[in-house]
Amino acid sequence: MMKQSFKPLLLIALGIFLYTRFANGTLLFYINQRFAWLTLLAAVGLLLVAASYRQSHRAGRQHPKHQHGHAGPPSSPPEALHRQTASWGGLLLVALPIALGLLVPPRPLGATAMQSREVNIGSLSSAPAPANQKLVTVQGEKDILEWLIDFQRIPDPAAFDGQAAQVIGFVYRDDRFTSETFMVSRFAVSCCVADATAVGLIVRWPQADALEKDQWVEVGGHFEAGNFSGEPAPVLVAESITPVEIPNQPYLYYY
Amino acid sequence: MQRFNRLMAALLLLFLLLGPVVLRSLSPAGLPATIERIQIFVTIFLGIFIEAAPFLLAGSLVSGLIEVFVDPGLLGRLTPRRPVLAALAGAGLGLAFPVCECGVVPVTRRLYQKGLPPSVGIAFLLAAPVVNPVVIASTYTAFGWGWMLLGRLGLSFLIAAGIGFLFHLARPDELLLSPAPAAIPVAHAAHEHAPAGHSGPPSSHSGPPSSHSGRIWEALTTAGDDFLDMARYLILGSMLAAGMQTLVPQAALLAVGGGPFTSVVTMLALAFVLSICSTVDAFLALAFVNTFTPASILGFLVFGPMVDVKSSLMFLGVFRRRAVAYLILLPLMMVMAATTYLNLNLGG
Repeated sequence: MMKQSFKPLLLIALGIFLYTRFANGTLLFYINQRFAWLTLLAAVGLLLVAASYRQSHRAGRQHPKHQHGHAGPPSSPPEALHRQTASWGGLLLVALPIALGLLVPPRPLGATAMQSREVNIGSLSSAPAPANQKLVTVQGEKDILEWLIDFQRIPDPAAFDGQAAQVIGFVYRDDRFTSETFMVSRFAVSCCVADATAVGLIVRWPQADALEKDQWVEVGGHFEAGNFSGEPAPVLVAESITPVEIPNQPYLYYY
Repeated sequence: MQRFNRLMAALLLLFLLLGPVVLRSLSPAGLPATIERIQIFVTIFLGIFIEAAPFLLAGSLVSGLIEVFVDPGLLGRLTPRRPVLAALAGAGLGLAFPVCECGVVPVTRRLYQKGLPPSVGIAFLLAAPVVNPVVIASTYTAFGWGWMLLGRLGLSFLIAAGIGFLFHLARPDELLLSPAPAAIPVAHAAHEHAPAGHSGPPSSHSGPPSSHSGRIWEALTTAGDDFLDMARYLILGSMLAAGMQTLVPQAALLAVGGGPFTSVVTMLALAFVLSICSTVDAFLALAFVNTFTPASILGFLVFGPMVDVKSSLMFLGVFRRRAVAYLILLPLMMVMAATTYLNLNLGG
């Protein structure tokens, strides 16, 4: 019986957990913004489902049939009951996302996560271009992903010579970079962080090696044909680098 | 619950045995690097869970409504008698229930309790995450009208129906965890009129238990039970997927490469490990179109929704362990064979 009353509490806790992620904006560390409304809906749904335990409990006292509904096939009440009454271990497992979410401070993927992922710098391949996406990106400030999609369409690095760019991302370096280059990077997400792919622009900046890994920066400059680890690629020659806070929307979206 | 506890214990043991070894080998920089990895793990784990939770809840709600409002035996009567037709019908059922691979599991389990033949349920389970309006729309958005969309739908449908048909040879109790009520004698029809009770006089059973709203509440409670039950498997699966993503570098998978067979194996492994919801996996697949052959992308789009780390764990909440093994291996072999054949014959 204890367990039975623990269930609605757990559902309420999950609902509140999802709602707080939505309300304080950290939800965007985990999933694409376009699915945020689903999370909100789930939070409401979980609370509603939790409320039903109270209602059904009341109804159950008047109508023994209720227990049937719960217990599954009428042919085997003991077995079915056994199945539906979740173990303590199982219920605690469901509380795990809440516990981990509260214990580990939320942080979007950063430079460390790039080590285990493919990095897309546009010259190599693989920046996705959805079939129905409009072919010319609108003028104005393009983000890293939009530049990469452009690089993909026009494979000639020299085609971008002299074009000005202003982008925000975090600093990433590994041993392929010289002391004067780094990558201004973002993660691009289509659904949730599980499908995040790293994207980045090669930046030339005299004090590149003085930049802290994972530091978020705003880079202003212009493109110049260059190369990166032997491959030709447009290189962003920086004129200004300003440290900035992590943006509210840390990821870029493919669509 | 015993099975579940045993499973938990086995996984825990695995983590304890492998965890330290893996962590030490991967973090020469010591503790800070380990902490960062844990943070990445938690972010990815919560990402998968938060993304999947609404879909699992939707599936549980459908399951709850089926429990309260669908007459037991109705499904059995509606199902075609011929096994081939039944399997085909199961594979097409997704058009009526737009669920992804998280939502489909509780719905299937409930349909079994309502007397759906196991083979039909398996065809439904494997096909519905692809052959449904939402996924057709998202695949169309990503790839446009063409053979990728048609191939995805056609291949998923055929493989799901084929496997469903194969499973009609098995007895329900060989497949399912709890005996399906389909196994209850033919006198079922009589039960419906006067469900002679086990726990009370017939009078308390006949007719609707209470008002209409009372039945809705009951459906919601059933949905809550289903959600909590299935969430355990979803959470274990998400943890496994997040762990693999944190520890196995994508480069290691992608470096395996481009041959007609290895490209297929790579994409199928990726589909299994990434565990992305079928409603959006087409957009991720776009990221690989220049690196991999079209047929291996097709394999990714067909296999991923049928089987991945988190759905395989969820299968364990419905099927016996041997059946789960077949449910992983049969789609794997069929998709592998079909897409390798395409690779060799498309000059890819």
